[in-house]
Amino acid sequence: MGLFDSIRSVFGLSAEADATRDADPEDLFGMSTAYLTMEANLDFVPIDAAALCFSAVDSTDFTDAVDEVEAILHAGESDTGTRFRRYEDDHGYHWVVLDDDDPEDLVTSVHFAADTFVEEGFGSRLLDAVFGFERPRDGARAYWIYSFRRGTYYPFAPTGSHERDRRLEFKLQSVLDGELAVEGDESYWYPLWPDDPDGHPWE
Amino acid sequence: MEWKPDWGLRGRMVLTMFLLFALYIVFVAILSRYMGLFGVVVVMGLFSLGQFFFSDRLALYSMGASKVEEDEYPQLHAMVGRLSQQADLPKPTVAVAETQVPNAFATGRSPKNSTVCVTKGLLHTLDEDELEGVLAHELAHVKNRDVMVMTIASFLSTIAFMIVRWGWLFGGNRNRQGGGGMIVAILVSLVVWIVSFVLIRTLSRYREYSADRGGAAITGKPSALASALLSISGRMDRVPQEDLREQSEMNAFFVIPIRSGFVGRIFSTHPPTEKRVERLREMAAEMER
Repeated sequence: MGLFDSIRSVFGLSAEADATRDADPEDLFGMSTAYLTMEANLDFVPIDAAALCFSAVDSTDFTDAVDEVEAILHAGESDTGTRFRRYEDDHGYHWVVLDDDDPEDLVTSVHFAADTFVEEGFGSRLLDAVFGFERPRDGARAYWIYSFRRGTYYPFAPTGSHERDRRLEFKLQSVLDGELAVEGDESYWYPLWPDDPDGHPWE
Repeated sequence: MEWKPDWGLRGRMVLTMFLLFALYIVFVAILSRYMGLFGVVVVMGLFSLGQFFFSDRLALYSMGASKVEEDEYPQLHAMVGRLSQQADLPKPTVAVAETQVPNAFATGRSPKNSTVCVTKGLLHTLDEDELEGVLAHELAHVKNRDVMVMTIASFLSTIAFMIVRWGWLFGGNRNRQGGGGMIVAILVSLVVWIVSFVLIRTLSRYREYSADRGGAAITGKPSALASALLSISGRMDRVPQEDLREQSEMNAFFVIPIRSGFVGRIFSTHPPTEKRVERLREMAAEMER
């Protein structure tokens, strides 16, 4: 913890400052090459879907911002062929789910949507971008989650309803570390349990 | 999304901390004249370490709270996890206390060692949005390191109290000058204890306002916390007295303290609910501007 952080804590400002800190979507592009490494080195193929998770704000401006994001994604549909849908999970968090069989287009669309949130002044409400993978051999599932709050990636490999495959996660970390900015502190590897044990976090 | 900074609150908090600090410096200066600085430092060091490392376990134990796993309370865990992510905190340990009094508190010396505890009564009383508001308020306490700030702030005050309470044991059987010195030390400690008590309570109320702001920033819904505060304080008045008195020593940790009629406003650890709700509503209004 730096001096500045300590001072903010002493004056009771840390919570407010960190919760409203803007997101940094730049590192999202690291995912493009990670898709190749995942397949070449680890036999994990893309599931042709990615998603953006955000928490809502109780204001009209925010509703307008979400409409704006939808409009932009809608306009992009004809360009990239990326289809999108909205989803609200059991915990009241919102998702923009993107479907495309070209990983490159998925990354671009996620970045595009995230950028729009930031421009509309609600970058601080972006939590994660989630990219899905699957291993055809045994059907094992894994996700790379980009945390907008920390500007880092972490692996998430759910196996049952509330279990995760730690060994696989560490393996993903060691192989992709350097290529992606992987979160070094595991206490920030928040699980994103799907509502349905067999589904994706956004299902 | 940002709100106007509350400069009034910041200013008052700095002033309170400054006064407390000044008081403590004078206290240590006088004390070291009469008791020798070495003893003071050793006692202070041991005491603060003990409090720092055991206060969280003590708090959970005295509330009859226990840690709960992810599969026992999946919704609660998911909520705490996502709110922590928004606040950029590691996910704290989650605990549930058996009591029906609706309340919540957070303990732990640092964000990595923190625990957020809710009572069963709270889970029954609040709806999802309100519960989220209360949890975010507690996470804001963790983020602002309020346990550490309040431990440091109350530390010399506790020493002063101990001198008032036990100082006479050491005064009598020495030479005349030492005995007189102890009387002075006890009197000084008494004054320091009373003044610092008021200042600490003031500081505690300012930290509550800060945590309210922080919590509202985390959820993005100031009105959810406001409505939670109102439902908790509404139910508080109806729960049986017996239950309340047992837990009143835990007040400093609670989201809303248990009310007691004779304790005046300046001795309260928390600001009045109406004032907190009013400020949260101002934040909500600001979001539409």
